[in-house]
Amino acid sequence: MSESFETPSEPVAISMIAGRYLLFDINVVTYLRRTHHICGVLIGSIPQIPQQNLFLGLPLELMPEEAKFLVEKEAAYIVDDHAWHKQRFSTLEGSDKRKYLDSLRSKGLEAKRIAEGASRKRSEHALAKQAAQRRRMDAQPEGQITSGDITEDAASESLFEDARPTSPTTSAASSKPDIPYGVTPTTSYSPSSLPENTTLQPTPLVPSSYPLFEHLHSRNYFIMPGLRFGCDYNVYPGDPLRFHSHFSATSYGWEEEFSMIDIIGGGRLGTRVKKSFLIGGEDPDGKTDEAPAVRTFCIEWGGM
Amino acid sequence: MLNKPQDFKHPAHLHTLASTILHNLQYQHDWSSLSIHTHSTLNSLPLPRPVISGLPPKRAYVHPDEQIELVKAEHATRNTSVQLPEREWVLPSHWEEKWTLSKFSAVFNALENVPPASGDEQKETDSAVGWQWRGKNRHKRLLLATLHDDSTVIYYIMHDGIVKPRQN
Repeated sequence: MSESFETPSEPVAISMIAGRYLLFDINVVTYLRRTHHICGVLIGSIPQIPQQNLFLGLPLELMPEEAKFLVEKEAAYIVDDHAWHKQRFSTLEGSDKRKYLDSLRSKGLEAKRIAEGASRKRSEHALAKQAAQRRRMDAQPEGQITSGDITEDAASESLFEDARPTSPTTSAASSKPDIPYGVTPTTSYSPSSLPENTTLQPTPLVPSSYPLFEHLHSRNYFIMPGLRFGCDYNVYPGDPLRFHSHFSATSYGWEEEFSMIDIIGGGRLGTRVKKSFLIGGEDPDGKTDEAPAVRTFCIEWGGM
Repeated sequence: MLNKPQDFKHPAHLHTLASTILHNLQYQHDWSSLSIHTHSTLNSLPLPRPVISGLPPKRAYVHPDEQIELVKAEHATRNTSVQLPEREWVLPSHWEEKWTLSKFSAVFNALENVPPASGDEQKETDSAVGWQWRGKNRHKRLLLATLHDDSTVIYYIMHDGIVKPRQN
């Protein structure tokens, strides 16, 4: 599909819902990952099978740090979805309303077109298979067919494949081509109706580890949440889909005390999983105008 | 009141800690030419605490990129290169202690990249494979030695700044 390569125009909207920063558009998700090295975490599961949580889909949840970074870079702005819905939905009428409904309708038609294309391809494939099967059967003398798996398989396959083209939904849809699929929108407004004034939105509140996040991100590292390794961030030298992470990073205040067991535990776990345990924080004395000075140390097991 | 930095004396417990670690390095890990530094070799000011330098029996740390170079060179020349050990800094610490980033950075700021030579180590040529990661070119690092009450000492390598992990 051509849409998957669409580049959204900056700033993009980040929906804030119940204190979470969410993205609902796959184009925005891939764009931010490509150009800003912002990965986020996919959190959407299938409503009827929520226990299937190995492969999650949209929406994408951003860490507050990621949201703040994008806002400060003016690559994105925050939309309070709840407030914006309340404000917009009651006043949505006339041409705006029609435009929004039209956009839903065109999405539904598009979904239908794709689904029908897929089902047509499927039935063509099945018919071709069936024809091939028949030819083979004709070629074989009657008595030689052993009651083997092949016939069994073919029979069950054709049974299922045959059911598709005659199923009521497809035949009904093809007889009435104008009825679009029902689309459940992820937002209650069309993207064009988003607030014009983007500077008024407050920047997200972030944990005290933000300077370390910014420091690592500015050095072209990709950063993911560190829960799995008991740290603040997992730090990757490139896209996490391609690279093993180099560091498990934990941020401390400049004068914040930590015990040796934290260093040893982090260092040992990091080394075990082919990472280095990185500790760092903002040095209040080394501050410059453009960036806070962040000091980092990497810890690995000494092997002795 | 002490006026000259040379006259500064660290508390006795820090000296004891350093000598215990030194003893462990010498007799358990076969380190040689060990010495305890009380003053910075950069500016002769007192160090935050006494720090040990010494020569391990074999290389204590090989940078992952250097290792790749070494393997490549070995593959090309078909003979195994001998890795001479390098002098290392060792920072003594105790299990019960609390550290902060500021304390660690004070230690690192007071140390040179490489501990001063004692004359015991063998000199290697400047053009040896992997020279970019050794000697003065190396990233500032130290071994963090932690002493437990049961006399166990554990060693962790600590780098100043972002250094990618070894592929061990």
